[in-house]
Amino acid sequence: MSILFTGRATGAAAKKIGLLRRFIMFWLNHARQAVASLGELWRTPSASILTIAVLGVSLTLPATLHLLVKNMQQISSSFTQAAEISLYIREQTPANQVQSLVTILQADRDVAQVIFVSKQQAMAEFQQISGFGAALNYLDSNPLPDLIRVLPKNTAPQAAETLLKRLSAERVVEFAKLDIDWLTRLNAIVSMLQQAVAIIALLLLSAVLLIVGNTIRLSIMNKKDEIEVMKLVGATDAFIQRPFLYTGVWFGIFGGLLAFLVVELMLWWLQSAISNVTALYQSDFSLKAMSFVEFLTLLLIAVLLGLAGSYLSVRRHISAIEPTGP
Amino acid sequence: MLQFDQVSKSYPGGFVALDRISFRLEKGEMAFLTGHSGAGKSTLLKLISLIERPSAGRVLINDIELSRIKRSQIPYVRRDVGIIFQNHRLLMNHTVFDNVALPLVIEGFTGKEMVKRVHAALDKVGLLDKVRCLPATLSGGEQQRVGIARAVVNKPPLLLADEPTGNLDPDLSKDTMRVFEAFNQVGVSVLVATHDLGLVARMKYRTLTLKQGRMINDGLLQYQEPV
Repeated sequence: MSILFTGRATGAAAKKIGLLRRFIMFWLNHARQAVASLGELWRTPSASILTIAVLGVSLTLPATLHLLVKNMQQISSSFTQAAEISLYIREQTPANQVQSLVTILQADRDVAQVIFVSKQQAMAEFQQISGFGAALNYLDSNPLPDLIRVLPKNTAPQAAETLLKRLSAERVVEFAKLDIDWLTRLNAIVSMLQQAVAIIALLLLSAVLLIVGNTIRLSIMNKKDEIEVMKLVGATDAFIQRPFLYTGVWFGIFGGLLAFLVVELMLWWLQSAISNVTALYQSDFSLKAMSFVEFLTLLLIAVLLGLAGSYLSVRRHISAIEPTGP
Repeated sequence: MLQFDQVSKSYPGGFVALDRISFRLEKGEMAFLTGHSGAGKSTLLKLISLIERPSAGRVLINDIELSRIKRSQIPYVRRDVGIIFQNHRLLMNHTVFDNVALPLVIEGFTGKEMVKRVHAALDKVGLLDKVRCLPATLSGGEQQRVGIARAVVNKPPLLLADEPTGNLDPDLSKDTMRVFEAFNQVGVSVLVATHDLGLVARMKYRTLTLKQGRMINDGLLQYQEPV
């Protein structure tokens, strides 16, 4: 395209080439520039490795925290299995009515298991555990109520709550209690951790953005003369900034890969220590590693940050460089 | 082709670099721009290549006023004007081929067409055997010719040169001027800024002489034997 001379054939666009060929050439050009940027990184290995290392470490932390939260959730979800409803039976309820309630509950579709604890059993247990022992014998009557322990089939807090409401409506039930408080507390802690992780991740990711931006700025400054010459022979800003954008993308890719490797190494390192601990607790807990989707997400985030960082830098600094004279 | 209409350029601080300059360079014409250093030669060339904008007056190329060119369009204007710099301004860590190919790469040329054009341009300046060399391994005159090849590789209709013989010996200067003449003969308009008055006078081309920002002569320069 020539602005001054209409009809002057300029550039490759002036040659008649097919749409398909032009499309292929477009991608070929981009691929070539991407490889050229990679070569540029290769030629300054120490500086590139330093930058990539910083990016890798900055990305490792959010990735690790994410895995921590993921494993925490795994633990807390295994705890929800323990949700249990206790039904305290009214005093002086005839034993046969209690028995029939137990039978009804056993047939209930929402109930997984029913355990009946009579007041005598409860007293015996209490005597044994509390240590009051003989002192309890002085009581006139047994103050403890009969108890039915119900394990719901659906152990999610919401469903258990609904079942609780339904069961407390039973005539012989004095009141029903769901031991769910500690569960909501655990969930609250997990979600608080999640938010803390999100904030830390945000900070570290913006650090990545700034690091890439600054590195690109330095390399623009290093190539000031070259950029001036390119501008003098008619290069557009878009043409000049492309290699720098590709450099940002490469930083992202290598930083992301490094972070992945560090995380894997850390997991491998911790695996034996954690299995020792879980063996002591007789738990079948196993550390969850990064899934393939998570790996891709990490890489994508790294690449996007690299691109965004270099874009911010390129926008500001390339248009600021103007040739000063022939 | 190139027209200056009452063009003035003053810099902040009141320094007047150009004072109401008017001239016309026709299509296919070759002219010299002379004057002592500081007379305004470089400023005049900067106005054409849109490195600077005039304070007053109009600069037109092919009847299009350069003040109407937007910032984003400047690169496209520069592709129509080949510029040769006094200090070559080559990319020192790239080969001669890469340097000459730069304007073509910018315009999107690839493959055989690009190689063909680069070789043709280097052939014209007699440097075809140095294609793979780095500029640092070439002599000053050869570097200057690489600069010329880069300026003409995309066949611009207008060629500007700023002191192209600045640090060349007389023989090389003459050769360089011959190269410009050759381009002029195929229809390119050429404007060469130089302070080598002897050379200018011998070449018998139209000469524009600047003195303290004013045009004091437009026409053939009488040859004076150096005293």
